[in-house]
Amino acid sequence: MTEIAPQAAHSRRVWLQTAAGGACALAAGCLAPGGPQTGRLEKVWGQRGKTPGKLNKPRAITIDAEDHLYIVDITPRIQVFSTDGKYLRGWQTPAFANGRPSGLAFASDGNLLVADTHYFRMLVYTPAGKLLDSRTIGGECGSGPGQFGFVTDCAQDSRGNYYIAEYGEFDRIQKFSPDGKFLLQWGSHGHDLGQFLRPQKMVLDNDDLLWVADACNHRVQVFDARSSEAKVVRSWGRNGHAPGELNYPYDILLDPAALAGRPEGFVYLCEFGNHRVQKFTREGEFVGLWGKNGRGEGELDQPWGITRDSRGRMYVLDTYNHRVQRFRL
Amino acid sequence: MFGLKIDFDQPYYLLLLLLIPVLWVFSFKSLSGLGPYRRLFALSFRTLVFSLLVLALAGIQLQKISERMTVLYLLDQSESIPKATREAMLEYVMKDVEAHRHRGDLQSAAEDKAGVIIFGREATIEHPPIADEVRTVGALESLFELRTDATNIASALKLAQASFPEDTAKRIVIVTDGNENLGDARTIARTLADSGIGIDVVPISLPTLAEIAVEKVALPSDIRRGQPMEARVVIENYSQKDVKGRLRVMRRYGNIDELLGGEELAVVLKPGKNVFSFEHTIDVPAGYTYKADFVPDDATADVQLQNNSASAFTHVRGKGRVLLIEDWENPGEFAYLIQRLGEMNIEVDVMPSNRLFTSLAELQGYDCVVLANVPRASGGETEKQETSNFSDDQITMLVRNTEQFGCGLVMLGGKSSFGAGGWANTELEKAMPVDFQIKNAKVKAVGALVMLMHASEMAQGNHWQKVMCEEALKVLGPSDYCGTLHWDDFAGSDKWLWSDTTGKGLLQVKDRQKLWLGKLSRMTPGDMPQFDPAMQKALKELIPNPASIKHMIIISDGDPSPPGPNTLPAFKKNNIRISTVAVGTHGPPGSTPLQNIATATGGKYYVAANPKALPRIFQIEARRVARPLIKEDAKGIPLVISDPGHEMLQSVADVQPITGFVYTQKKENPLVEVLIRAKDVDPENGTILAAWTFGAGKTVALTTDAGRSWANAWTGSEDYDKLFSQMIRYAMRPVNEEGKFTIATDVKDGKVRVVVTALDKNDEFLNFLNMSAAGSGPEMENIEINFRQEAPGRYVAEFPADKAGSYLLAVNTGQGNNMLLTGVTVPYSAEFRERETNEALVKTLAGLRPVGGQAGQVISGDLKKGAVDRLVASVDTFRRTLAKAVSSEDFWPIFLLIAAGIFLVDIFIRRVTVHFYWLTPALAYAWNRVRGRQIEAAPDERMARLRNRKAAVANQLDERRAAARFEPQAADSSGPPRDYEQVIADATAGGPAAAAPPPTQQPTATPQAEQDTYTERLLAAKKKAKRE
Repeated sequence: MTEIAPQAAHSRRVWLQTAAGGACALAAGCLAPGGPQTGRLEKVWGQRGKTPGKLNKPRAITIDAEDHLYIVDITPRIQVFSTDGKYLRGWQTPAFANGRPSGLAFASDGNLLVADTHYFRMLVYTPAGKLLDSRTIGGECGSGPGQFGFVTDCAQDSRGNYYIAEYGEFDRIQKFSPDGKFLLQWGSHGHDLGQFLRPQKMVLDNDDLLWVADACNHRVQVFDARSSEAKVVRSWGRNGHAPGELNYPYDILLDPAALAGRPEGFVYLCEFGNHRVQKFTREGEFVGLWGKNGRGEGELDQPWGITRDSRGRMYVLDTYNHRVQRFRL
Repeated sequence: MFGLKIDFDQPYYLLLLLLIPVLWVFSFKSLSGLGPYRRLFALSFRTLVFSLLVLALAGIQLQKISERMTVLYLLDQSESIPKATREAMLEYVMKDVEAHRHRGDLQSAAEDKAGVIIFGREATIEHPPIADEVRTVGALESLFELRTDATNIASALKLAQASFPEDTAKRIVIVTDGNENLGDARTIARTLADSGIGIDVVPISLPTLAEIAVEKVALPSDIRRGQPMEARVVIENYSQKDVKGRLRVMRRYGNIDELLGGEELAVVLKPGKNVFSFEHTIDVPAGYTYKADFVPDDATADVQLQNNSASAFTHVRGKGRVLLIEDWENPGEFAYLIQRLGEMNIEVDVMPSNRLFTSLAELQGYDCVVLANVPRASGGETEKQETSNFSDDQITMLVRNTEQFGCGLVMLGGKSSFGAGGWANTELEKAMPVDFQIKNAKVKAVGALVMLMHASEMAQGNHWQKVMCEEALKVLGPSDYCGTLHWDDFAGSDKWLWSDTTGKGLLQVKDRQKLWLGKLSRMTPGDMPQFDPAMQKALKELIPNPASIKHMIIISDGDPSPPGPNTLPAFKKNNIRISTVAVGTHGPPGSTPLQNIATATGGKYYVAANPKALPRIFQIEARRVARPLIKEDAKGIPLVISDPGHEMLQSVADVQPITGFVYTQKKENPLVEVLIRAKDVDPENGTILAAWTFGAGKTVALTTDAGRSWANAWTGSEDYDKLFSQMIRYAMRPVNEEGKFTIATDVKDGKVRVVVTALDKNDEFLNFLNMSAAGSGPEMENIEINFRQEAPGRYVAEFPADKAGSYLLAVNTGQGNNMLLTGVTVPYSAEFRERETNEALVKTLAGLRPVGGQAGQVISGDLKKGAVDRLVASVDTFRRTLAKAVSSEDFWPIFLLIAAGIFLVDIFIRRVTVHFYWLTPALAYAWNRVRGRQIEAAPDERMARLRNRKAAVANQLDERRAAARFEPQAADSSGPPRDYEQVIADATAGGPAAAAPPPTQQPTATPQAEQDTYTERLLAAKKKAKRE
């Protein structure tokens, strides 16, 4: 015993030292910058239903300057909510027998642009829900200028030009002047740079560069379409389920710094196929993610859209759970 | 309070609490050493631990009481209720829910739920119970699949009971006229009341308007060919005045319709029963159907038109007639055979496969049915072309017609027959002497089929996708390959519905059909974003697949992103066709890609406007992979006659080689007779002609054709005529006219009564016959009845006939082979007989008192479209008069944990003394701090006490010293200081003996004491003191 005891004491000391060292390392690791970030859920709201304030497979979300959320679902109604989910008002698109809208965005004059997918057009509404007929673009199915397949999303640049994306037979983006005249089109069905497979959502940054969530190519493409020609200036993303990989990104969001082109800005992608939101740098470096598949709080089922309010809180459309989740990432 | 309640699982354990006083008595004594306060604490904790243990033993539960309520509306959509009232029901529900439902807010979701169930012959959920208003786009969505020809309140009640959510109070509101003719609502309602479910009833009052009903067409029981007979039509006029109208009585046999009396008859119906007779003769022996229709001149004189027609059936025997069913896409294919049979005195009626029989009665006029190269499903080649198929019911009728009624069934081959015609896995396969699926692995009759499912957005999409896949899967044989692709929501990618361990999803069917059907029933295909990955997956497995025909079917609304530029050429290159089925496409952008896929690969493009056409399309498409079942050889396939003595082959000298036939699998049954087979083919699969007896009839399979393309060498010879005429005659129903039996039928109060009178050749009564009958109802259900003899030669049987349609019976007289055929037609459902509301049932249902609640209410009032507000306002259907829902949660583990914790406290109290001396200074300190006083360094009380004590002891010592009478010894101040113990010991000793001399000092006065121990010295001192 007398011989063993010192050894035992020694090993105990070693063990304690190791454990303490490990704990320190772990703590340091957790605090260390550069590790994958995980988000934090703040609020969940929304219930399935057809009455005002309830949602049925919500498909697109956007937010106005007063932090009011505009959501379109498959009933199809465009409903306006407060950031806490209080129903404010709502209205329906004029026709929906063929199918429902799947894109919402705000124009610079504060009016709402609606991608009326199955009616091959872009509708413009006042925030109160009044349809501005004269500003509708499209309405005819086809491959010619000003004709459309399934319209996915609309956006307006700082000069007032409209960009309208479509998929189906012709995956392309068309650019129109502020008075609705056709200016430019680019893109076709395929995997190459500059081609698309379902350009599902678009965002314009402050320099009028167009960021496109190229959903079925599982990537982001950024275009400079300010002149008479559209050039790819950036593209990143690859298909997969691991962190940093993409599976059907259906919506794209840039934070204010990213919109301003500052390197500390982040790009958020909402993935229909991976049931999560991922955070990237502007160059496509993976930073963090939030969400996994499920029905519980903080879990998502095939989300279609994401937006961000003036306080930096993000809202994801948890489409197949018929609700909205607010979180930070 | 707070909606919570405490309950116990096994409350009798609570009796253990009576032991608490005993615990006190014992503990009070044993804890006496602790002092009063600690004892009190210890006792309290001990009691608490014991009580918690007892509560845990008793299984304490926390019960949550929910204030929520769910109301399910049961809407009677049966035809006894006028259509306008049925349509108004939904409006009533919507307004009632809106008016009375308690709403919550989005966050708490603590609001009432409402749901809708509609019922007729069965019940179905129209709107599941959810916490929302009931909103629909107008009509009832699930009505199209509901059969409304009966009222089954009981099934609706059962469905409601199963559909209620658990955590709410439950009420059912039944909107009905109460005229149930299926099930027993009272019994079910009582069980519901026992479960605390309340029932309100909204009775529908039936209009007492003018009503005419054609009750029946009566035919005499004994009809003889060529003799005059009378058909009587009975019409009931329920109104109080004469009604004018036209009466039309049609007689139909084969495909011929005749109007009795030559024209429509203008009649005047008196109030009450009216009987009209039509005298005529029957010259052609056949099965006859009589149908009488009454049309009132003034439409308002009759509310329900459904009960304005009745029909009857009779059968007059004669020489055999044959029905030949041919493919409507290839008419005239068997013209030569029909002409030859006609020459041989066999009459053949031709029926194209898109104008098929609809009832078993129609088949009764024939003694043999020939399926001449007819596929199970056909058509649909172009957008506008119809698709047609043999429904499962029609196949069952064909089989029943042979099995029970003895009619012959002959299947003639061709490229669309047997397995190649999609007949595998049907009832028909069971009836034939050969199976249509090949079990022999050597025969390379293998096809591969991949189905891609994306129809989730159509109404009832998941249901129809399952039905379609099942139909397609049933067409395939065990050697074929099949795979199903769909979008898996969870994985976020396209998945095979079934796969092996290596992940392959295109697998050989083998015996896995049932397993896969089970998987299909659980399939929930999601919203596929693009076609390409799924098509690539299919391609990857189809290319290396050994099947000789490979095919793919895509069903979609067309909104996934179209396939990539290289995908379709790859399919084309590998000779894989893709057929596409468009369902609810979103206009041209949806349909064009689907059309392109089909065109690019050589497949077909279908547009399914009606989901009911989908299973047919899948049958047609799946048939494409069954093509390899055909064996063709232009050089000729020599044949062998294996049973020349058979009656079909009598006088047939030889059979010439043929150029093709369809592979089949001989049934492993000794009753199967193979008469001709192909010479160099496995005998199991090379059957050309086979026959067997199936039930009461015979079936024959000829796997080659009748001389159109494969058996051309046979035509023109005498053997052809002999072979085919003998084949048909062999299969025909045997004619046996011995004995005299008359059979009469009558329908009354939902029951059919059959009376058979039996006489022998000498007109003597035939008694003690063992007579029985088997038959089929309108839905091909089996009817088995036994006769009882009521009088000499008179046999009677009864069976219920609650459905409208034809009931056909084959009566086995128990004498030789004699079989009597008869039919009864129930003209319309019992629904149309009902004239008044069943108030007794309404009151009983509403009057039941649910456990823990109050009885329901009868909500009376007019239910009319646009005027339901009064009805809504009269009763609050969401009123809180029912037992609240209680959900229990076991709480005892927590109690056990608390008891363990308190037990530790109990030990602590008993083992550790806790005092509160520190309290006062602490309070003082705090008080000073609060008042902001300069805090003086507080003297350490313990040190002060020690010093005081030391001083006191020193004083005592001095006093004693002073008092002691022994020589004083000067303390040596230069000596080492004495410690406290020593001082105390000295003090206690009370004398100089105890005071130890300085070590350096020499012993002088008491040398003896130096050797004494401390105790001895103490004793000595004591003795000395006593002496003094």
